[in-house]
Amino acid sequence: MQITDQPHGLFVCHECDALQNISGIQPGNVATCVCCGSTLFRNPNGGVERPLALIIASAILFLVANIYPIMQIKIAGIEMSATLTGSAVVFFDFGNPVLAAAVWIPVVFIPGVIIFGLLYVLSSIHFNMGLPYTKPILIFASRVLPFGMMDVFLLGVLVALVKLVALADVLLGAGFYAFVVLIFAFAAAIGSLELHELWESLDKTTNRPVERKLL
Amino acid sequence: MSYRLVRAKDHGLAGCHTCGQVVALHDTARATCPRCGCNVHYRKHNSIARAWAFLISAFLMYIPSNTEPMMYTESFGMQGSDTIMSGVLYFLSHGDWPLALVIFSASVLLPLLKMIAIAYILIMVQLGAKHRRVENTRLYKLAELMGKWSMVDVFVVALLTALVQVGVLTSIQPGPACVAFVTMVLLTMFSAMAFDPKLIWDQTE
Repeated sequence: MQITDQPHGLFVCHECDALQNISGIQPGNVATCVCCGSTLFRNPNGGVERPLALIIASAILFLVANIYPIMQIKIAGIEMSATLTGSAVVFFDFGNPVLAAAVWIPVVFIPGVIIFGLLYVLSSIHFNMGLPYTKPILIFASRVLPFGMMDVFLLGVLVALVKLVALADVLLGAGFYAFVVLIFAFAAAIGSLELHELWESLDKTTNRPVERKLL
Repeated sequence: MSYRLVRAKDHGLAGCHTCGQVVALHDTARATCPRCGCNVHYRKHNSIARAWAFLISAFLMYIPSNTEPMMYTESFGMQGSDTIMSGVLYFLSHGDWPLALVIFSASVLLPLLKMIAIAYILIMVQLGAKHRRVENTRLYKLAELMGKWSMVDVFVVALLTALVQVGVLTSIQPGPACVAFVTMVLLTMFSAMAFDPKLIWDQTE
């Protein structure tokens, strides 16, 4: 096994295995595979700064959405409220840990890991800090990314809302509004991120100390 | 396609799935990516067999997830149970057709379409079909993306159970279909992940 000295822009399409050389992609433009049309490489506007800003916003919103209740209802004078974690814990109380995990992991745990993991990695790159464990964190975050289901949960909240309006007085909590904005901020953050670029800049920052030693 | 394309495999190269690094494999079947340390291989191992296994299990779980009750409701001593379809019919009878449509497509239609799509692509690959490769690749990507939306009903039940626990008067409890549903969604996602879309393009012209 040997490492090819990768000229900037040699890409293998993830979908069809076509080998292509890409260069001169302007910021804001996308390179698509000439063979199957899948996205090969994006050069997002704003480099690392934009995703970092959006991830910081997502982190704050994530905390708000998790602390404050999503919904409150009133039936016969009794008030009930549900937070994100609370709606999973109820399953746990009913002796159904599988369902508790099925709600808590994709809605709270995975988005949390991705948001705070990316916050760590992006700030390490942007502020040139060379923090440890950035690579395993980035690998884990990109592995669990397809299992994050905050957007699906929002649709669930809306459906539950319609069902409950017939039963009781429903109030949307602060958590709900934070959650809605969070979904947009998070989607924008992921959309403005190019993993290839991230890995390349990670190479540079983690190699820095070695270069210094050589000098 | 009118022009000839170079496949990475023909040159002993493979792209790392995690970081995109192009790695020279030559005769070895797998190697460690020098950049991120993940395994790099030409094609996913046993891709077709694993995709079929997950797909068939997913289909088996699809049956109870639609026939068993999703939740049990108890209101002022009256007991009831709701399957997905009875929920859809309830909304339809109340003239709430947009909501009925959302639940029906997310819980009944989408998983079925996704499983049919994956089965179709697998059969095409096993038959060695050479036509409509671009469309099949797009279909695969679409199937991969839409799987998670079927979780919506599980989340609805979670929220309803969490909120409607007003002592002895009214309560909602999750039914067996919930677990079946979660399993089905996960299995279809694993099936899509086990499949390697590069196999669509592997037949030589």
